Amino acid sequence: MGEVITITSGKGGVGKSTLSANLAVGLAESGKKVVAVDFDIGLRNLDMILGLENRIVYDVIDVMEGRCNLSQALINDKRSKNLYFLPASQTSDKTILDKDKVQKLIESLKNEFDIIILDSPAGIESGFEHSIFLADRAIIVTTPDVSAVRDADRVIGIIDAKSQKAKDGGEVLKHVVINRLKPEMVDSGSMLSVDDVLSILALPLIGIVPDDEEIITSTNEGEPIFYNKNSMAGEAYRRITKRILGEDISFMEIKPKKVGFFKRLFG
Amino acid sequence: MTLFERIFGTKKRDNSANKAKARLKVMLATERADCNIPYLEDLKREILDVVKKYTKTGDVNIKTEKQNDIDMLELEISLGKN
Repeated sequence: MGEVITITSGKGGVGKSTLSANLAVGLAESGKKVVAVDFDIGLRNLDMILGLENRIVYDVIDVMEGRCNLSQALINDKRSKNLYFLPASQTSDKTILDKDKVQKLIESLKNEFDIIILDSPAGIESGFEHSIFLADRAIIVTTPDVSAVRDADRVIGIIDAKSQKAKDGGEVLKHVVINRLKPEMVDSGSMLSVDDVLSILALPLIGIVPDDEEIITSTNEGEPIFYNKNSMAGEAYRRITKRILGEDISFMEIKPKKVGFFKRLFG
Repeated sequence: MTLFERIFGTKKRDNSANKAKARLKVMLATERADCNIPYLEDLKREILDVVKKYTKTGDVNIKTEKQNDIDMLELEISLGKN
């Protein structure tokens, strides 16, 4: 039976879909059979980050409503052969997801895949609830700013209340990813540090991703940064992947870039 | 930035991260307390019913607070002027 990993955050725009895409690629590249499901109904995004937007025929709602088979809707990535993708529907009716149908879909995905990555929508409404309902583990993404951390805290507080696993007496495994860290700003005291965020959220850390402009390039091109061997963010995602697989990997040292004498002088 | 700062770098620390941390801690202390008391709304309503039965006031204020891992409820009933 596959493991369900839900990527969530509360606040929008903190990097859920980017983490979902890179983790899905990473786990697939490590030999796991992975499916990434975009649960952000109405606001499809994961397809573009994965570079698969042109191959969509059916979506997750089509599968749930029986308009097509699961295999017809699944898109197999050409680069990572073990990676499959199930796109979100573009319907504007967010209430279209039905708990029983979600459950049925995820059960059938669990039979076919080792890992099911659910990219949750922002917010704590029904879309979020559906994506957390059958989660075995949750990764909460936050950036080091007050609104993202506050929202992350709220989400962490309600995960167990919305989870089937918790109802059955278990516990959803929860970890934090701190995204878009700017070491220069942390150093000068103008950004919350990793320790600051962790002391507030009181959850174990599974990744620190430095702020990296190459993320924008990689999204522009539809090629997850995981593949970019020279990128700091790519390295961060490679390490998160290994930690998910149970390896004990040290955290990357994220230090401010040394600014040269002339650069400092002339800007 | 002065030329001196440009050459030797600025060492001045700004405190906004500390402020952010302090504000978050205060905010979350109250928000978490709210989360831990799911029956708060029902409790409020029933207390208000009892208070109304015996007094003429409808002014009941309930606050939740968390201090050193102890959840507290603060109940304030103003009876008004006699």
